[in-house]
Amino acid sequence: MTARRVVVTGLGVICALGHNLAEVWCALRAGRSGIGPIRSLDVSNLRFQNGAEVREYDTGKHFGSGADLLDRFAQFALISAREAVADSGVTLTPELRENTAVVSGSCVGGQSTQDAGFVELYRQERGRVHPLTIPRTMANAGASHISVEFGTTGPAFTISTACSSANHAIGQAFRMVRSGEVDLAIAGGSEAPFSMGLLKAWEAIRVIAPDTCRPFSRDRRGMILGEGGAMLVLEPLERAEARGARIYGEIVGLGMSSDAGHITQPSVEGPARAMRAALRDAQLHPEQVGYINAHGTGTPGNDPTETRAIREVFGAHADRLAVSSTKSMHGHALGAAGALEAVATVMALHQGLLPPTANFIGPDPECDLDIITHRARAAQVECALSNSFAFGGLNAVLALRTHLR
Amino acid sequence: MSDPVSEKVLAILASVKRIPRDKISIDTPLQALGIDSLDTIVLLSELEKAFRIAISDDDARSVRSVRDVVEEVRKLAGDVSVDSTAPAA
Repeated sequence: MTARRVVVTGLGVICALGHNLAEVWCALRAGRSGIGPIRSLDVSNLRFQNGAEVREYDTGKHFGSGADLLDRFAQFALISAREAVADSGVTLTPELRENTAVVSGSCVGGQSTQDAGFVELYRQERGRVHPLTIPRTMANAGASHISVEFGTTGPAFTISTACSSANHAIGQAFRMVRSGEVDLAIAGGSEAPFSMGLLKAWEAIRVIAPDTCRPFSRDRRGMILGEGGAMLVLEPLERAEARGARIYGEIVGLGMSSDAGHITQPSVEGPARAMRAALRDAQLHPEQVGYINAHGTGTPGNDPTETRAIREVFGAHADRLAVSSTKSMHGHALGAAGALEAVATVMALHQGLLPPTANFIGPDPECDLDIITHRARAAQVECALSNSFAFGGLNAVLALRTHLR
Repeated sequence: MSDPVSEKVLAILASVKRIPRDKISIDTPLQALGIDSLDTIVLLSELEKAFRIAISDDDARSVRSVRDVVEEVRKLAGDVSVDSTAPAA
């Protein structure tokens, strides 16, 4: 079967910037950061106090009495999938359900559930944990609940590659639709990492900023954790056009690589190979790329390394493409990061408006790219990359193209 | 510089990286001992436990040599005795 073109026809998202696509895009285009003091936990014994939490979230509104079955991370997966499917307007016929894939990314699974269970077990010495601890904690819970809710019986699985999880997930879904293995895919990622046990672990590894997330800026001091979920509906161009669907953009390539080096220190070569692989998979020339939604964590280490990788891949064209990191607004949502950024990138192409990097206070000579700061930039670019580079050295890059009607 | 603080720091360093104590001198750059940023974080964590101190992230990022580490600990711990329950070096 010849390769099919794959388009995005539905988007769903919930994160610190809002509870749906309209709210989140409104914040992204305004450069409004969702980072603030962590409220869901007492963080007085932590070296950092800020995070990008989903605020004013009412579990009951979304799940009623069924909420007990889902950890917060799976709730975010399902909420964003509901919005994406509704947004796509697709009718899930019995035949299409059999040919629909669900691929989710999650780095840490049901952390809050696990943490609460361990508190009962070790601190309160109750000798037992909640009987739903296993189904709530399992990292594939998001994919499973999406599949159950929509009755989709095609391939469904979860990918856990730390901060690259969602890009790997969207990439696998893209390839299944492109190859003809499935006719529809719901793909993205979700994460809810605000549990004390996990926050203490992040504190111990010393990469969280005590203030805020300032990617590519001078005086940046680290990343800020975020939570949320984002899902994309992918389908073949022909089917989308035949049903008159609104097309947000096209996914044209996936590039993957492994650093095969240090377990936490990023390399230049691994990310560069992933970007090159994405361009090759998409059959794009580097000059066709006008925007990169960077991995841009805001750590002292990542941003100069990513800058060098971009320069290595794009050469002189690196000075003619715009770069931003939306993590400055929605935080670093680990296994959901790539999905939040895919939504931002697809919307940037669809709206001709490139989201900025918030909290930027001045250039760093080691990050000498054309960083979009503070306010969105109006620009209709042909193609964009969305970068995700994980702890463990596992890299995944998506290539996207503006859909011309 | 063979006071109790520097002796204990060097002993913990030797233990963390599993290198003979006599291979480490106060002026050795951490990099020359094969200590990367992740090893440094582990080392500082052991020192925090042993000396009952809290090292800030900014200070943690600035240490380059064994002497930097010793001085950081000395700054925070003074000449207090070390925690005897800490891992043996």
